[in-house]
Amino acid sequence: MNLPIKNALAERKTSLVPAPAAAIISLIIPGLGHILARSYQRGLLLMLSMGSIVPLLYSRISQVGRRQEELLDKITRSFQLEPILILATVAVVLLYIVIVGDAYRLARDRTARNSLAPFSVVLICFFVLGWQIGDIDVGLFIREIGDAKFRLGQIMWPWARAISRDASETLGIQEIKIPCDDNPPPQSEQTPDSAWLTASPTCGNLSLEDGTQGSILTLVAGNLTPNTEVDILWQDPVNNIFRQRQGGEYITITTDENGGFELDIVMPYRLIPNSAADKSLIWKVRARQLSATGAIGPSTELLLAMSKMIETIFLGMMATLFGIVLALPLSFIAARNLMDGSSATLAIYFVVRSLLNIVRSVEPLIWAVIAVAVVGLGPFAGIVALTLHSIAALGKLYSEAIESIDTGPIEAIQATGANWIQIVIFAVIPQIIPPFVSFTIYRWDINVRLSTIIGLVGGGGIGFLLIQWMRISDFKAAGIAVWFIIITVTILDFVSSEIRHRFV
Amino acid sequence: MFEVRNLTKIYDDGTVAVKNVSFSIPDGEFLVVIGLSGSGKSTLLRCINRLIDPTEGEILWDGVDLAQIEGEDLRVVRRKIGMVFQHFNLVKRSSVLTNVLAGRLGYTSSWQSLFGRFSEDDRQLAFAALDRLGILDQADKRADELSGGQQQRVGVARALMQEPRMILADEPVASLDPVLAHSIMEHLERLNQEDGITIICSLHYLDLVQRYASSVIGLREGEIVYRGAKAEIRGMTDKQFREIYGADAERVGDLTGDLNSDDQ
Ligand SMILES: Nc1ncnc2c1ncn2[C@@H]1O[C@H](COP(=O)(O)OP(=O)(O)OP(=O)(O)O)[C@@H](O)[C@H]1O
Ligand SMILES: [Mg+2]
Repeated sequence: MNLPIKNALAERKTSLVPAPAAAIISLIIPGLGHILARSYQRGLLLMLSMGSIVPLLYSRISQVGRRQEELLDKITRSFQLEPILILATVAVVLLYIVIVGDAYRLARDRTARNSLAPFSVVLICFFVLGWQIGDIDVGLFIREIGDAKFRLGQIMWPWARAISRDASETLGIQEIKIPCDDNPPPQSEQTPDSAWLTASPTCGNLSLEDGTQGSILTLVAGNLTPNTEVDILWQDPVNNIFRQRQGGEYITITTDENGGFELDIVMPYRLIPNSAADKSLIWKVRARQLSATGAIGPSTELLLAMSKMIETIFLGMMATLFGIVLALPLSFIAARNLMDGSSATLAIYFVVRSLLNIVRSVEPLIWAVIAVAVVGLGPFAGIVALTLHSIAALGKLYSEAIESIDTGPIEAIQATGANWIQIVIFAVIPQIIPPFVSFTIYRWDINVRLSTIIGLVGGGGIGFLLIQWMRISDFKAAGIAVWFIIITVTILDFVSSEIRHRFV
Repeated sequence: MFEVRNLTKIYDDGTVAVKNVSFSIPDGEFLVVIGLSGSGKSTLLRCINRLIDPTEGEILWDGVDLAQIEGEDLRVVRRKIGMVFQHFNLVKRSSVLTNVLAGRLGYTSSWQSLFGRFSEDDRQLAFAALDRLGILDQADKRADELSGGQQQRVGVARALMQEPRMILADEPVASLDPVLAHSIMEHLERLNQEDGITIICSLHYLDLVQRYASSVIGLREGEIVYRGAKAEIRGMTDKQFREIYGADAERVGDLTGDLNSDDQ
């Protein structure tokens, strides 16, 4: 019973070429053997796969081995640099062989079961190539995670940075002339009831770039807070203040029980503009004590993160509001059931729908980049970008809600003798309000989430802070921003699901 | 006295749904319209309260031609004609009470409606209507939380709120099981007998027709092919009933009189 059918099938669909010929043809052009064996789709697919995998592999190899001239050198070099390319090559060769074998098999017996083997190998090829293109390095990830622990810890628990105390400064200052001339500044007065600092001598040379040591100064100070750390700072002639390092560490010294100290320092290295090099100028050396005397308060980072978070929430909210206001009228002309009255209105419907779809298909972050280009950095750019995307998304959702209105109740209310406005209030609005509210809350939710990251591309909000802090490796401050984002989004999640629950 | 004269409805696509239909009934009649699916029952009923504009003919009610009136006049007539639908046509997300109160819209100013307000009398009327239909305890529920039978009772209560002189019921029990079907039909019968409301109702089952109708018209392809008064209907056999259904008799035949089979 089975056999005749099989024969009939085979008769109807015999290969155009004998099996060995199909194999040889596939050896030259992979997939062509299949096509001649009347496995058109399969042959075409395999041909396309091979036709994209081989150039891809070649481009990766020549990119990795680009320093080499000869192809063979390129290949060996790229194999040395990225061994995964060996695996990719092996997979491609395997695919080549499998395709030839498959062509032979199908040409010999058209009714043979379609094997998935060639396509599995195609998938393997793409996977291995994807691994190489994606620069995937699991080892790196594991190695780095150890080093990153400290940074991650800072991000995860940044709260030390969230508080600060007002600090009061106790200062002693001595003028230093650089370089020395006939007329060095006097030693500072040793005041009886305020901190003082003297240096001897009161002039000298800075350390130089070539390693020449600067002059040695002996600093003596008094009337500072006893047993407390002192930093040494310099103030250059244009009033830039910097802490002095020596041997890579900031110089600090602890005062004795009388609030004084004596310390030898080598004058620091500082690049001096050529124009200033030949003149003697007055610098200042400062001995500074910081004491946390004031009350505990929020740090500037915390305050900044808070104000940016508020900006973020309002950014999302304004975009949602503008989105609603503009999407509402659009949604009515984007609703097919309202617009299919005449071909003119139907044309408007198609235009509006297509516009909404196009605007919606562009990611909000891309819109933000465009908006930044138009209105400049800041929250307004973010609002513009999110509003655009919201109009498109809400317009589509609203119009779909309008399209799914049940006409039954409208007819029923009309039958009671209600007038137009009563029909709208009692039959139309109750049907569209719940989905509208639901979609709007959903969009608000999305907008606030997006507004936390829209700052990454300059669209304002907390994302702007986050990316800045990350760039200067201030992980604790970044941690505060991350926490704010998490907390806000969590609360929002809860609130929006709660509201949606009530309404729908 | 209600009279339809030479009523014809041709849809935009050329379908002749109702063809030259004429009949007249005295006030307080329980007229049942029977006919195959697509024979024009819904079209006929909808022409009466002008949810559909008839193409030709007159619909005379106390000498006024309903086919001719428009605007405010039409709304005043509509509020005296209640309508009950096969699929209830309630506003699903509104409460039962709101759905019932909507029956008063024809008596309410737009201004009040803008704020969703109804007079205290209207609210009392609504509670009374709900009570009469035995669903007073459901008043605060959302309409779609009710069972099919309960929803149709809301539909009847809404029609009742109009203080109608006539109720059009378009296959009011076709979506309900047989027991509920009888319950709804009994409510309509009571409105007919106690309040003297004229009922025009389309039905599918022979025994419901025999039980409730005081007169019957049969439609086939938009034309009246049968007229029967009360006495004749009681004596009507399945065979005669099938004849009205014409060529497709066999198909509907096994439905007639058999309440346990599912119509839809
Ligand atoms: N809006 C419309 N446009 C065009 N043709 C219609 C429209 N409504 C109904 N028809 C057609 O008119 C004819 C009568 O339809 P109608 O709904 O009045 O029949 P019915 O007897 O109520 O049927 P059912 O028992 O299925 O409800 C049918 O042929 C139907 O296809
Ligand atoms: Mg119908």
